[in-house]
Parts: sequence; C-alpha cells; structure tokens
Amino acid sequence: MNLKTLTALGLACVVLFSCEEIDILESGNLVPKTVAEDPRLPSISVNGTVLHAEAFGNPDSSLVIFLHGGPGADYQNGLNARQLADDGYRLVFYDQRGTGLSQRHDKSTYSIQLYLDDLTAVIEHYRTSPTQKIFLFGHSWGAMLAAAYINAYPNRVTGAIFAEAGGFNKQLLDEYGEASRKLNLFSEITNDVLYYDQFLTGRENEHQILDYKLSIASSFSYAEGNDEGIEGPSPFWRNGATVLQAFVDISENDGFDFTTNLNQYQTNVLFIYGENNKSYGLSFAQIEAAFFPNSDIVQIDDTGHEMIYFKWNSVYPVVLDYLNSLN
Amino acid sequence: MKAIRILIAFIVPFFIYQKGMAQTVNWIELKDTKHIMTAGIGWDYSVSYYLGYAYQLNTKVPIMLTTNFSIPSGERLLDDYKTKIGGQILLLNKSNLKGSIAFNGIYRRYENPLAKLQNFGSELKGTFGYYKPKWFVAGEVGFDIAIVTHFNHSETFKETIFADVRDGWYEPFTGGNFQYGIQIGYSFNQSDITFNIGMVTTQDFKTSPLIPYYLMLGYNLRLN
Repeated sequence: MNLKTLTALGLACVVLFSCEEIDILESGNLVPKTVAEDPRLPSISVNGTVLHAEAFGNPDSSLVIFLHGGPGADYQNGLNARQLADDGYRLVFYDQRGTGLSQRHDKSTYSIQLYLDDLTAVIEHYRTSPTQKIFLFGHSWGAMLAAAYINAYPNRVTGAIFAEAGGFNKQLLDEYGEASRKLNLFSEITNDVLYYDQFLTGRENEHQILDYKLSIASSFSYAEGNDEGIEGPSPFWRNGATVLQAFVDISENDGFDFTTNLNQYQTNVLFIYGENNKSYGLSFAQIEAAFFPNSDIVQIDDTGHEMIYFKWNSVYPVVLDYLNSLN
Repeated sequence: MKAIRILIAFIVPFFIYQKGMAQTVNWIELKDTKHIMTAGIGWDYSVSYYLGYAYQLNTKVPIMLTTNFSIPSGERLLDDYKTKIGGQILLLNKSNLKGSIAFNGIYRRYENPLAKLQNFGSELKGTFGYYKPKWFVAGEVGFDIAIVTHFNHSETFKETIFADVRDGWYEPFTGGNFQYGIQIGYSFNQSDITFNIGMVTTQDFKTSPLIPYYLMLGYNLRLN
C-alpha cells in the first residue's frame, strides 16, 4: 500500500466520519433525563433526594405503594396496577433512589436502611390521615423490599402482596440467582451481555454510560428459553447501574436477612407467582410464605416473572380480592 | 475531531508499521522468520476464536507487522467481531531478556436485539520477559481504549426503553480497559504454543468488566 493510497484512505475516513458527534455523558442522548435534569417529570422531594413518582386515585383512599424490581429497574412495567385506582385505592408509584428517572447518588451512599427510610418518606408524603391504610405491592426485588420493611416495622403496614420475591435472605437470593441466571459460555445470549465490555466502560459515577450498558443487557432476561418464563421485552425508562452494584456489594459483603421479625406480622399476606417461572414456582413461594404466620399463595397461569405486565388481567382479580379482604 | 481520532487509532499504524497486532511470540526463534500464522481460542470478554498473520520486516531493530481477526462464540456468526492491525517492535534486545511494545488500531462490532455498536479504538501493550530457544515467560501490560463509537438502536429499544434515543457517533472515549498478566510459550520446530492469562480492569480502577479476566491459548506457525 503506497503513501497516496493511504492518504486517500485517510481523507475518505475524515469525510465519512465528519458528521455530528454526540456527547455520551449527556442525559437525553442514550438514556432519558432524570428528574434532576428535567423538571417537567412528575417528582417528589423526600428524604434528601428527588424521586420520580406518580399517584392515581382518590388521595384519601387506602394507599397501595407499588415497589418495582431490580434493584435498578423502574416502575413503568408495573403501571397496569393503576387499574386498582378505579376500585377505590390510591396507587402510588415511585422509582427508587438512584434508578429509573429518580435522582442519582454516589455509590457509597446507598444502603438498605436508606431505602426503607425512602419508603417511609414516600408513605408520609402521600398519606392524608394517620388512619389511612397502607398496602405494599412488591415485584421481585420490590417484594424483597416490602419484606424488609415489614421486618423492620411490623406495625406500619395493613397488608402486602409479594410477586416473586427474589429471596428474603442471602441464602434464598443465591438459590434464586443460581436457578435463574444460568450462563452458557458459548451462547449468543451470554456473548450479548459480556462482549460489549470493551466498547463501554464508564467510571463509577458516569451514570449515563453505566445505566445505558445495563439497559442493553436487558435482552438477556427475555431470551428464548429463559428460565424465568419471561415472554418478551417489557418497557422501562432507565436502569440504575450504580445502585444495583451497590446492593450487590452489600449483599456479598454484609449479607442480609429480612426474615427475623416476619413471624410477628399476623396479617394475611399474598404471594403470587408465574406458572412458567422454572426458577420460582410453588416450592419457592412456600419457602418464602412460611416466614409469615398467615399467607395465601396463588399461581398465575401461563406467564412468568413479568406477570404484572404480561398477564395483568389474571393478576388483577387476585390482587383486588386480597386488598378488599383487608380494606 | 472524531475523524482525527480515527486517524490516530487506525490509520497511523499503517504509516508506522503498516500492519500489526500484539502477537505472543518467542523473539529468540524469530531470527530468520518472515511470516507467522497464528490461531487461538480463549476468553477475550467472551469465548473467542482468532486468526492472525504477522510479517517481520528486515530491519536492524526487530519489527513485526501484524493483523488479527477474532469472533466471539455464539449462534450468529458475524454480528460481533474485532479486527486489529498494528505493529510490534523489540526495544530491549539482550541475549535472554527482551522487551517489546505493540500498538494496534482496532475496529470492532457488537450487536444484540437492542443495539448495534461499531467502534474504532486502539491498544498499546508492553511486554518484558525471559526468552530461551525452547520457551519463554513474560509479563504484559496493555491499555485498550474505545475512542469513538457509533450507536444504532433497534425498534425494540425505541418501543420499550427510550423512543428519543439518538443514533450516531458518540464521544468522548466510550470505554477503556487495562489488561495485565503473563504470557508463556513453548517452541518447537517452526511452531510455538502460547498461553496468555491476566486481569482486566476499567480505566478508573474502581469497576471491572463482568468477567474481569482474559485467557488465550494460541498456536504460531513460523515460516521463512
């Protein structure tokens, strides 16, 4: 290859690539802006942070606080639950601190207690009277958080719905993780969540890059033949990679156990699980339900872990019956 | 600016070395070698297979021009791959102690159901070790930087995650990883069996790839 050819090749590259360049560190390009960057988003300021939050229904009705999964997901794929507002409930949705469209923070600031304090602050923000009933409706990690809250404050909650909690203690979480996150090293699916580490790294607080990376890894969860029976992609706004890593570190380094006081909670609680989630099933639901003195377990047919999004019509009557039984 | 970075990453190595890749070689056994064919398998962010070629220039200071193509494992053959071209120069050339520097321009591609990424990057790698005719052992340190990346998103991404996502070329640097480890090799006849193993950490030393290791088992065929 002579010098002229190389020069021509170089100039061709200059022309070819001299289009607009986009800043990867600016929210709104690869990931949507958070409430800290876009004041038009619905939000509440509580406990030293700004949370992306919405509520539906009569403000004086019994509160149903929806707790989304993750850690590091958001509430968009749980919005079907707002139908309960038509049945006389006040549905509250919020993106947990550091994820969804809520404000980001340094990794070192996250803790389980902080998440419990946030939940207390959300309840206080929306509560209109001291006698207003409070229900927690948690999905996956959100169900774990609901258990953690009841474990810490057994007298604050009127009732709780647990949709496939990933494990109420470290041991159960590990069991669920091993069952649901099997990696075939030679498969395309595995490659899809590993190979891009050389394209995108992101420093510890470069949330735009880290959150984006996590978002494009989401295709792993609904890949064909996945053990959790997830039918396909469900919508979300933005992942919180830093808070996810913070809680992974907490779990690995300190462990956790949200079960120590659950036997004090005498109210009947509801467990629901998807028929097609091979990693959960009736047996896992029974193990988790056994921590409570009183519980019901209901299978949601023909769906998997994302039952609230994909089979809301089946979930809805079960949840409504439960809420009405305690309202 | 981006075009200049691409030139630095990808075109400049042509002028300096014409072609190249950080081959794992036994410098002692390269005396009369002109061509090296390489093949291997290992862990390079994923299970990967590679083929390479190196050409040794007839210079006083040993210089190799190399190229390499690798693909990760998976059902879809060419949705992800990496190409490297660059060169490797032996800067320290004592009887058994050798030290070399390699510089590569990188073009790589990644695709999953949500996004397609194309990246121009570069890699700088230093190696220092002890070499005998039949074997060698060396330490290696490298830095791989993703200089500029083109993002293209699928309809699924736009429908379920972020409708207003902007496709196009992104900067500044979208990624950077340090690699450090060892390489060992056994040489016989016109062949080398090589083995590289080490750690990968991101540029801020606070985070790491999901699997923070690399591992390569390679074979070189040396021809005069």
